[in-house]
Amino acid sequence: MRALRVLLATAACGLISLNAQAAPPDLSGVWFISTHVGALKTLDGHAPPLTPEARKIYEAHRALAARGDYSYDGVTECLPPGLPRLMLMQEPFEILQKPKVIYFVHQLNRLPRRAYLDEALPTDVDPHYLGYSVAKWDGDTLVIDTNGFEDGTLLDNAGLPHSDALHLTERYQLSQDGKHMHLGLTIDDPKTFTQTWSAQADYVKRAGYEFPEDVCAATPPAKRPRS
Amino acid sequence: MRNVIKASMMLSGLLVAAASIGAPPPKTLNDSGDPTLALTPGLRGADKAPPGAAPGNPDPHDFNGVWWMSGYQYLIGPEPGVAPPLKPEYMAILERRIRAKNRGVPEADASTQCMPHGMPRIMESPYPIEIVQTAERVTFLHEVAHNLRRIWLNRDHPKKLTPTFLGDSVGHWEGDTMVVDTIGVNDRTFIDDEGSSHSTQEHVIERYRKIDNGSTLELMVTVEDPVTLEHPYTYRRVFRWRPDVRPQEYVCEENNRNAPVNGVTVAK
Repeated sequence: MRALRVLLATAACGLISLNAQAAPPDLSGVWFISTHVGALKTLDGHAPPLTPEARKIYEAHRALAARGDYSYDGVTECLPPGLPRLMLMQEPFEILQKPKVIYFVHQLNRLPRRAYLDEALPTDVDPHYLGYSVAKWDGDTLVIDTNGFEDGTLLDNAGLPHSDALHLTERYQLSQDGKHMHLGLTIDDPKTFTQTWSAQADYVKRAGYEFPEDVCAATPPAKRPRS
Repeated sequence: MRNVIKASMMLSGLLVAAASIGAPPPKTLNDSGDPTLALTPGLRGADKAPPGAAPGNPDPHDFNGVWWMSGYQYLIGPEPGVAPPLKPEYMAILERRIRAKNRGVPEADASTQCMPHGMPRIMESPYPIEIVQTAERVTFLHEVAHNLRRIWLNRDHPKKLTPTFLGDSVGHWEGDTMVVDTIGVNDRTFIDDEGSSHSTQEHVIERYRKIDNGSTLELMVTVEDPVTLEHPYTYRRVFRWRPDVRPQEYVCEENNRNAPVNGVTVAK
């Protein structure tokens, strides 16, 4: 059924090929993060390898948060979280999967994200909160590469900073039963970290879930998500 | 930031290209000739895709892709420049809002505060709209202020609806026309940019159909509102197929040039 749907979608775009490879997994659906990720850790459970300068920024954020001051966090002013933070929020997202574009539609302030398949990362791109994302299928894994970030957003809900040199790689894998999804993250930002590092997150699918209309600007500041 | 600048440059480009197709529309509300009731002229909106762009998909049931409105109107009545058939008390409110706009102190509505534009105004946008169609739903990703509309093809309206900015939209196919029915809107938005009122009892019926071999999406909109309107009315719009356009990140919440102060907004 999944293969048929993809085949039909492909045919509808006039792209059908007699040499079509096995259909990729269908990641469509509404996904919730399984376990809250506050502070991102490396795969072996350590703190990310911040440079001394970036560590000062991070510690300043933590000190402000300890006093209840989230002024460093644009999310409290309804600005988009950066990446990968948007993928670590408690609000769910929906994946709409098409042959040329993977769409992530987030409940959080109704933010859309697009990853364009079979394209190279641009070398000169205007900075955006969510960067510019390209995708490819590596076997059954959806690999998304993103660059072109604004440097004012945060990597996680604990205030981890990044620079405009951030290059994020996300690898999404569907479980055998199709109900879970694993995300492997690689963070390459030589202006912020002493080396490239990896982290992870997991998601559970919730069939039939409809988002409420989430409008940050209509939400009192005290009720908005924050670190 | 860059997007805000880009967007404002694009808008001013469109303003220069303000249209006059056919008979010139009234320049003042209800042809009153009163300069304090001057209407903002419509925009030409999007042209057809440039030469070399992928041709439109002729499949009448496949709306996937980027569409961009031709012929944006600030006043959304049955014809360009003609007001909705508002009851007298709501026509008086529209006059008040138009006068405020012409004094340079337009009344703030939800969209100037980065909230969704409401119905049917959300479809009246000088920015592109990407349609993503899946088995049970049609999703509209609006570039303007990252608005999101979801049209459910697999269910009816819920019996209990909490009013929202864009309401609850359900759709079905009648031949090659997708019919979308929307109720459950809140009353924090206006029908149009000039300030025609609707209530929470507003009911909007949209009929979408591909024409011109897939290069144009035609939309017929019927607006009903037993509170603010004398009677329902219908108007027509067209959207151009624009495969050459990629919707951009539009962050209203950053550096909002329309942000209201004390209930009025000084820049539009």
